Amino acid sequence: MRESWAELVGLFANVAFGVSLLAVWGFLTTLGVVIEQGKDAAFYAAAYGPPLGRLIERLDVGNIYHSAAYVGIVGLIVCSMTAATFTKVIPRRIPRLHPVKIAAIPLHATVRVAGDVESVRERIASFFAERGWQVRKRDFAGTEWTFADKNNWARRGVLVAHIGFVIIATGTTIYWAKGYSGQFAVLSGATATIPENGVKVDLRRFAYRIDPIATKSGTVYQPIDYVSDATVTGRDGTPRNAVIRVNQPYDADGTLIYQATYGFAIDFRLSKNGKPVPSGGHPLKEGEGFVIDGTSRAIQYQRFVGTIDRATGRPGADPRPNDPGVVIEAFDGDASAGTALLALGRPVSLGAGYTLEAARYVLYSGFQYRYDPGIPVVGLGAFVLLAGLCVSMYFLPARLFVLVRPVDANVTEVGIAATTVKGYDVFEDRFREIVAALRRSEGEAHGP
Amino acid sequence: MDHNRQLLDQSLLVVGTATYVMSALALFGYFLTRKPLLRSIGMPFALAGCVAQFAELGTRWWMTGVWPLTNLYGSLSLFSALSVAIFLIFAYRYDLAFLGGFVLTVAAIAFAYGMTWNEGTMPAVPALQSYWIKIHVPIVIASYASFMVAFCVSLMYLFKAAVENRYARRGAPLSGAVAAAGPVGADAMSALGDAPGIGTIRNDTPALTSAAAAGDATAVWLAGLPSLARLDVMQYRIIAVGLPLLALGIITGAMWAKEAWGAYWQFDAKENAALASWIVYAVYMHLHTRPRWRGTRTAWVSVIGFASIVFCYLGVNIFISGLHSYKM
Ligand code: HEM
Repeated sequence: MRESWAELVGLFANVAFGVSLLAVWGFLTTLGVVIEQGKDAAFYAAAYGPPLGRLIERLDVGNIYHSAAYVGIVGLIVCSMTAATFTKVIPRRIPRLHPVKIAAIPLHATVRVAGDVESVRERIASFFAERGWQVRKRDFAGTEWTFADKNNWARRGVLVAHIGFVIIATGTTIYWAKGYSGQFAVLSGATATIPENGVKVDLRRFAYRIDPIATKSGTVYQPIDYVSDATVTGRDGTPRNAVIRVNQPYDADGTLIYQATYGFAIDFRLSKNGKPVPSGGHPLKEGEGFVIDGTSRAIQYQRFVGTIDRATGRPGADPRPNDPGVVIEAFDGDASAGTALLALGRPVSLGAGYTLEAARYVLYSGFQYRYDPGIPVVGLGAFVLLAGLCVSMYFLPARLFVLVRPVDANVTEVGIAATTVKGYDVFEDRFREIVAALRRSEGEAHGP
Repeated sequence: MDHNRQLLDQSLLVVGTATYVMSALALFGYFLTRKPLLRSIGMPFALAGCVAQFAELGTRWWMTGVWPLTNLYGSLSLFSALSVAIFLIFAYRYDLAFLGGFVLTVAAIAFAYGMTWNEGTMPAVPALQSYWIKIHVPIVIASYASFMVAFCVSLMYLFKAAVENRYARRGAPLSGAVAAAGPVGADAMSALGDAPGIGTIRNDTPALTSAAAAGDATAVWLAGLPSLARLDVMQYRIIAVGLPLLALGIITGAMWAKEAWGAYWQFDAKENAALASWIVYAVYMHLHTRPRWRGTRTAWVSVIGFASIVFCYLGVNIFISGLHSYKM
């Protein structure tokens, strides 16, 4: 039992295994970018062909970021990272002081200097101490070693980065366990309630600004501002004025309400032989529709057209309601019976005595809301991760192993070897400089 | 903008483009011939182009009051200016001038392509009207720029390693060079004195060295490039600038997203593409901790990383619709 546990930990702690997990995570993430998310089976079948479409459905690739595979791989990464941190990172990165075979370390040098062992050892120690190295001496089986460390504290950078990642993973889990989010739309003058917390949003007015801008390729209608003027009533029952704009959310009892979209709801009026017939019962938003009572026919409101081009009778480029209309699609059962552009306020005959009029529009505002108690945790994790990354990238911990040995009464040999947490190449220049400086400062002696 | 201002804007664009082309040509010449004169011409031109580009973006902002990075032109322009700036900083520190022809060419292409998206100045859409755009966008673009410079180093690495393999397979006489191959202690280094050229300290391309000693002209030319170990260290150092910047870019993007869209992570295509690139470079960093994988493998990961950056930067905007596609 213990053995298989050790084997499992060994596997998870293996960097090749961890890197493979990271690679799979990267692959799944890219897959979600390439394959459009959140569509239905018909969309995937049409876009990728039926066999691939079925595969996408079956493997949940259309909802990849919330799939068991995706969450599972992140979970495995956390486990692998934890195993690696305890069994590899900590022991390897924070090693105890120990003697080495100097000549076996690729970055090594020997310098012969004048003086006896004791005085040279002291001089060497102060040489490094003066240059900001942390100098420690240890006796191993009667041989005294000098160790000089630079940025020893930074050996913990990896640990910090790994902890940061775990904190982020914890923060996102908090949201999944306790948070909620959703969206709703409110017509001007109407009220909506957020179901999870009972906060009421009463939209007094929605306004937008779209400006025509002349560019090289013609006039572009650029949205400049969307703003909802609302009254929000939270748990304490006090109504408060709220101006909600893009980039300026409103905080209602810890739930943030954001300006997300807007649109033009349409008051459709249907009549048969001059008598009103039910037509949805309330202003319809884009995508909504109604079935004509007693028939198999339905009308769907597709989109709002701000300006109907008078010359062509087709939708114009200006989205602002100058001469507005709506595009509707008629259905017979499930089959489309065609689309039509209706000018606002001008009734059209649908045949069989039916007349349809898009009577007026009402602006509505679309909001998103979100309660995420994990945000501070994710923020902290991000900060810790970044700090860990910076520490492990910009502060190179290096250790010098120094052994001072007598050559004869007046000449002493100083053997130096260097290791870093990122191999030898990265320290080659620095090491060369250090040895050169040591040679200069000691005025190298030449023994027998 | 009035006519005079437009003229200033145009002039700076022309100066930027022209100096990049001059610099790229001179530095390519330096790469091929190693004539110091070409380097002395190429580097100041690179600096002048970079200054002209920053000046163009700055004057645009100053003259119109509209932050210039709200469209693809501004963003690509900043990308090329930052690539050149990062190249110059590294070149100053590590003698990277031999790489300039490549970096400047990519920068000039990015700049020229960006100009095809130059619509003049437009006010920003509401989602972009935030102080975050001034923080998030330059950080992300700086990370892309670092990865581009690292990519050029990786190509150089792979090229030199491939030629070395070819010479080794051909069985070039390894006389003398063998002794110097492999890790070299500082004693051997000090024997070379304090002033050997960049990358000539360690001989990790013995086949090339011996072919060079035998008078092979290509090998002589290639042996003058930094050693593979040195190229690997340069690549690592540049990626070590890019990765924390990308992390910071993703974090600031998440903070902005929380403000603009309600959630710090919307699973938008751009966000996920940036995350995927970040993962590739995290893989790079991990592989780089293992001596066995440091080298050709990490150089390939850097190439894959930059491909993922290009996809994230341009591919997502062009091929995939999402919350970030307002740039097009
Ligand atoms: C998949 C699971 C992971 C495993 C098995 C793993 C393991 C390791 C190991 C063994 C090292 C090198 C230790 C050494 O050589 O002394 C390392 C370094 C590092 N890891 Fe991870 N890690 C994982 C995931 C992550 C993640 C997700 C991050 C992102 C924060 C991360 C950030 C780092 C950093 C910054 C370093 C230092 C790199 C350097 O010094 O050049 N690791 N990791």
